[in-house]
Amino acid sequence: MSRIYAEIPQPEEVSTREREDAMGAYLMMFGALAAGLPLPIINLIAAVVYYYVNRNKGRFVKFHALQSLYSQFPTTILNAVLIFWTIRNLTLIWNPETWESDSHFAENSLFWGYVCVVITANLLYFIFSILGAVRARKGRMYYFLFFGKLAHHLAFSGPNRAVTSHVNAPPK
Amino acid sequence: MVGQNNLSRIYHESIECVIFKILTNKKIMRISIKHQESYSRSELLLRAFFGLFYIFIPHLFLLLFCAIWGSILRFIAWWVILFTGRHPESFFEYQVNLLRWNLRFQARILNLSDGYPAFGLSGTDDNTTLEVPYPEKLSRGTHLLKTLFGAIYVILPHVFVLYFRSIWGMILNFLSFWSVLFTGSYPKSWHEFQVGTIRWSTRVNLYMGYMSDEYPPFSSKPDVEDKKN
Repeated sequence: MSRIYAEIPQPEEVSTREREDAMGAYLMMFGALAAGLPLPIINLIAAVVYYYVNRNKGRFVKFHALQSLYSQFPTTILNAVLIFWTIRNLTLIWNPETWESDSHFAENSLFWGYVCVVITANLLYFIFSILGAVRARKGRMYYFLFFGKLAHHLAFSGPNRAVTSHVNAPPK
Repeated sequence: MVGQNNLSRIYHESIECVIFKILTNKKIMRISIKHQESYSRSELLLRAFFGLFYIFIPHLFLLLFCAIWGSILRFIAWWVILFTGRHPESFFEYQVNLLRWNLRFQARILNLSDGYPAFGLSGTDDNTTLEVPYPEKLSRGTHLLKTLFGAIYVILPHVFVLYFRSIWGMILNFLSFWSVLFTGSYPKSWHEFQVGTIRWSTRVNLYMGYMSDEYPPFSSKPDVEDKKN
């Protein structure tokens, strides 16, 4: 049995306010910069807050907010691991008992390989988020790999709610 | 000669009409705190002794989190304005609601108004008014100018004046406490001075917060239309 999905709004049906709200969801990736804290978790918290504040502003906004939120999880985890690993290496270097074997940075190719992966992931995330923000500003849908389908499913599953918003109904 | 006079009168009347229309159509920022005929002495004493616990701490605690979120939105709005020339409307509304809450809070802390300030961004208040017109377009040149040189041409001169105003405001606040305690009334000119300082600093905030392109005037007076009300 196939699921029922609500109709996807066309650009001319999306108001400027909705477009801007949808665009704002992707820009939450700058949350940590705004807060002045280099913690990856700040971006995620900002995206979660943004989603909960805007989830009732229409399916278009909800879709973009969800897509932005879900796409933040991989980079947040990668960044958090990198920060943890870096701090661990630094504490080993600064420790007087272990400082002579300071191979934690220079000779640890696994670490530097991971750094490259994280940089690439962040760059990709940044590029796709900007693309998403630009498309949302134009009232367009933009689907990320995997997260796009998931967000679409969660935002558009079920019929349009416009019908259920009527409180007064004729006698039965 | 009579015809010339008539033409001149019609001409001047039409110009006045245009100016009036411009003034009345122009959306302006309004900020006011109602001056009450009489102030409650018991509330004044309550605020003086326990205001820290039942107004200051709970409001400031919540305002702090809202202000952090506001600063994140402001940072993002900066980029949006730079690329699109528009302040996202919902971001703008959030900032205005935050300013309203702050105004309600300030009005009570400074004893300018009686009653307990409503919590929340959607809270309402009969004693305070803050209306900020939404700018459909913002100049990107001005946007960059205020970002790069705002500290020099806005913050420095305005803070210099506001610093002295706030010192005098503190003195008036102290004196007004006794005035309310003994007479039950807040001298109107003192009240206007305090509201004027808040109005002035709000204008500076609006300009530096990318919510207005109009350079804040070195004045605490309300805008033209606001005087009528």
